[in-house]
Amino acid sequence: MAFLKILLDNLRKGPATEAFPFGEATTPDAYRGKVTFDETSCVGCNMCEHVCAGGAIRFSEKEDGLHFLIWHNTCISCGLCAHYCPTKAIKLSNNWHLSHLQEEKYEQVDHAVVPYRECTSCGKRLQPGGPMLHQLAFKGANPRSERLMNMCPDCRRKVSYIGEAV
Amino acid sequence: MDFLSKAARKSPWLYRINAGSCNGCDVELATTACIPRYDVERLGCQYCGSPKHADIVLITGPLTARVKDKVLRVYDEIPDPKVTVAIGVCPISGGVFRESYAIEGPIDRYLPVDVNVPGCPPRPQAIIEGIAKAIEIWAKRA
Ligand code: SF4
Ligand code: SF4
Ligand code: SF4
Repeated sequence: MAFLKILLDNLRKGPATEAFPFGEATTPDAYRGKVTFDETSCVGCNMCEHVCAGGAIRFSEKEDGLHFLIWHNTCISCGLCAHYCPTKAIKLSNNWHLSHLQEEKYEQVDHAVVPYRECTSCGKRLQPGGPMLHQLAFKGANPRSERLMNMCPDCRRKVSYIGEAV
Repeated sequence: MDFLSKAARKSPWLYRINAGSCNGCDVELATTACIPRYDVERLGCQYCGSPKHADIVLITGPLTARVKDKVLRVYDEIPDPKVTVAIGVCPISGGVFRESYAIEGPIDRYLPVDVNVPGCPPRPQAIIEGIAKAIEIWAKRA
């Protein structure tokens, strides 16, 4: 008679089938789906491109900044990029709605420009690097490190050795 | 015959081709049909075992050099009209095998693809989403 109990249990629990596609699907927060990129915290270290297993990420240096490109159709959602990104600028969202028609195959691309900085003293072009990197490198800000952060190595050396008269 | 083609429009049969996949995507395809939690047959479709009966083809794998001719031969056995769905990043771009000497893909070099479902592997819900798109195309094409 044990089956009667199972039958009753099953009736109480209702169907095990997920409503999707006729309703919402459940997605764990940690699900590794579409990659997102935040150009304001990227420091242009290219580590994500280096470790990318699917070869989905390309960086190219142009006049207006560092151009970031990802083609989602070759991303295998391994999460290496997010794991190695020092500032967590690149992350994996739990968005898995990636299916598309063939005509849109080469539109599954995200593009962003990470602007270069300028040395506050001489105006020379600097690699990107926001407050996030500063925080990481110095474990907290102080006015001096904040000032030096926005200078090129040459000006930084001058300020450090000669003093403020630059 | 009119009745038959109307019925066929509503209930396409799915057929699966493994073009050298690692089996990850195939497991997810089996999951969509065999596990009550996903149950792809709610959409009015079902898997069949013969290419001659197929309406919607689901292809996994990067089309390895070794399996290419066999895949193309089986694909040709599927009567027209048909809808082709690439499952996983492998058939779409090659994924981790891209630019390898051992693969002939992406698959759209050899076959007309209609829907792409990227992921490595895509989760069952994503596959169901792709199949739903294919069924829409099928309803227009059949
Ligand atoms: S998740 Fe993996 S494959 Fe996708 S972009 Fe990141 S490193 Fe590349
Ligand atoms: S996204 Fe992260 S890993 Fe990639 S270049 Fe920017 S900071 Fe470096
Ligand atoms: S997409 Fe990933 S899981 Fe699917 S066959 Fe290719 S390597 Fe395997």
